[in-house]
Amino acid sequence: MTSTQITQKERIEGGTARRSSALARRRILRDWLFILPQFSLFVLLTIVPFIVAIPILFTDMASFTDPTVAPVGIRNFTALFTDPSVQADYFPALRRTLVFVALNYMTVYLFGLTLALLMFEVGFRGGFFTIIYLPLMVSGLAVGYMAVMLFSRETGTANLLLRQLGLIRNPIDIYSPEGTAFILPLLVGWRYAGYNMAIFLSGLLSIPNETIEASIVDGANYWQRLWQVYFPQMWPSFILATTMCLIGSFAVFDELVAMGALYVNPEAKLLSILFFTYGFQVNRLAMGMTLAVITFVPLVILGVFLQRLQRKLQY
Amino acid sequence: MTATSEVRIPPVQRRRGLGMAGRRRLLRIFALTVMLIYSALTLFPFYALFVRSFVSTRDAAQLHLWIPEAAEVSMDMQVGNLGVFYNLDMAVLKDALGIPQEEFLMARTTLRQISERYNIPEERIQNFFEGFYTFNGWRTLLTGSLYGTTFWAALGRTLLITAISLTLVIILSIFTGYGLSGLRRRDQMLVYNIYLLQMVIPAMLILLPQFLIFQWFFSLFPGYSEPGPVRWVLQWLAIILINIKGTALSTMIFTSAISAVPKELEDSASIDGASSWQYVRYILLPLLKVPIVSVVVIMLPLIYNQFLEPYVYLDPSNTTLLPFTQSAVGQFSTNFQLIYSAILASIVPLVLVYLLFRRFFVEGVMAGAIKG
Repeated sequence: MTSTQITQKERIEGGTARRSSALARRRILRDWLFILPQFSLFVLLTIVPFIVAIPILFTDMASFTDPTVAPVGIRNFTALFTDPSVQADYFPALRRTLVFVALNYMTVYLFGLTLALLMFEVGFRGGFFTIIYLPLMVSGLAVGYMAVMLFSRETGTANLLLRQLGLIRNPIDIYSPEGTAFILPLLVGWRYAGYNMAIFLSGLLSIPNETIEASIVDGANYWQRLWQVYFPQMWPSFILATTMCLIGSFAVFDELVAMGALYVNPEAKLLSILFFTYGFQVNRLAMGMTLAVITFVPLVILGVFLQRLQRKLQY
Repeated sequence: MTATSEVRIPPVQRRRGLGMAGRRRLLRIFALTVMLIYSALTLFPFYALFVRSFVSTRDAAQLHLWIPEAAEVSMDMQVGNLGVFYNLDMAVLKDALGIPQEEFLMARTTLRQISERYNIPEERIQNFFEGFYTFNGWRTLLTGSLYGTTFWAALGRTLLITAISLTLVIILSIFTGYGLSGLRRRDQMLVYNIYLLQMVIPAMLILLPQFLIFQWFFSLFPGYSEPGPVRWVLQWLAIILINIKGTALSTMIFTSAISAVPKELEDSASIDGASSWQYVRYILLPLLKVPIVSVVVIMLPLIYNQFLEPYVYLDPSNTTLLPFTQSAVGQFSTNFQLIYSAILASIVPLVLVYLLFRRFFVEGVMAGAIKG
């Protein structure tokens, strides 16, 4: 057992490791000395929470200072099918979240990919890049308030302007179901446009120039170039943008708080708001954690899969 | 018509109307136009926010494309109505006009009556309202206090936490990258892959158990009744620890950058008697300027704009900029001037840094985007 391990290690170290196995061990020790300060923190704050959460999922823990915690078996998990109050909270929030994710994912292409293709066509322009990336400096909270500022029914600046210009007759209402559903992804997409553009642009820039030149010489038009030359060579960018958008938009929170999701605006109550309220406001901590796990763990698995795929395609 | 699975590329280039060069130029002009329009649309919300921070609630239902003129305030207006229109705090009014705070002003008292009763020249009252009309929001934000803290204190805390977090996360991530460099052994690969998980684990998923862990160590909750320096520092520490725990991106960037450093450098350093620490500090660090810039420009907005964790962990009297903004909005929910001043004020510091160092941002982001 040990001997096979050592032979393997020797092979990995490149064959010169006959007398240097002590040296190799010292190297490992030294590496771990450098890894540990941050890694222990990372494990404590990212991995241990999962372990901490597991036993709580099977209790009725109500809040962080709940003195009486009783085991309830798998009732938290079955509540999705049996408890009407949980169903009434969860399923509308899930529906809104899915709509938001779908629309937000469209903005990745509508803004990010389009801008990257345009930028690629005219050559890299620092000035444009600076402006397009600027919204990423704005907090999610401020983006939410900007949405309110622009699209409030009576006082929204964009509403007033569009009406003045005669482009719309009835004002868009950010607090209506449709308003929240469409404006929010638009603004979030606007915020991340520069980020997605950077991802796609770096994918485009990594395409060997000869393939592009060859297709132009062969007379392919832009549309053909797009589908036959650019996109097939940009898979890692597509997967990365997808992963980031999926995870990010399922966990969107700040923007929603700005739109009053915690108190007044039920249309902005997405899943993340639900978990937060269960944990911190209505004393259903264990239930909130269970719902979060049910929702996010499949996503995390999907995310890991996408990550693997991306790295496999990249090398 | 559109090409999906199979495309016929004509063997001979067709020339119809425009030549190839002409078509390319047309495409470029089109691209530039679209980008110009998009840039204008991108900048518009910022401009609107700037203007709106000067538009009083009373005028909010009209379109303003520039800071509105201060309206003449009639001496016959009643303080009650003024309070509603301009979100006028009576304490502020008394303070500015030199009326003792104990005096009670009835809602129906007119400005003329005030002027007569307290012997204040009408000019002075008019002047007060002229400034107040436009700068009400900014004045209240920058001079007022809320839940035992002020805008400036909140900004200071944000800057402090951001500076400490960034410095520490860079140092620790360089250590991690050095420990993982080469990624040859299985234990290194394992650590690396665990760091990669960070990218797909949303903060929301681990928020509740993470809070529980901090609760065990720091007992932060409850305890609004017993604030003190120790408690405040512990709360900051919780935020800082979350910020410096390392991310997938920082690990990827530093690991690949340090792996690219020639091994001979380290060998020769160790032959010259340098310890690992000295190698990292004096040889590696100067070589890592580009990845450090990359990590800083990507993490700076994330840390500065952090809302969820400070909102959860920090007492209202000890809070950072964004939770402060949020509670200011909640407190003055009808004072649009104040709301938009607060939002704009929370954006401005980072935007200034961004514009000053835009070259680094653009280069760093493009370098980081390739890593993913």
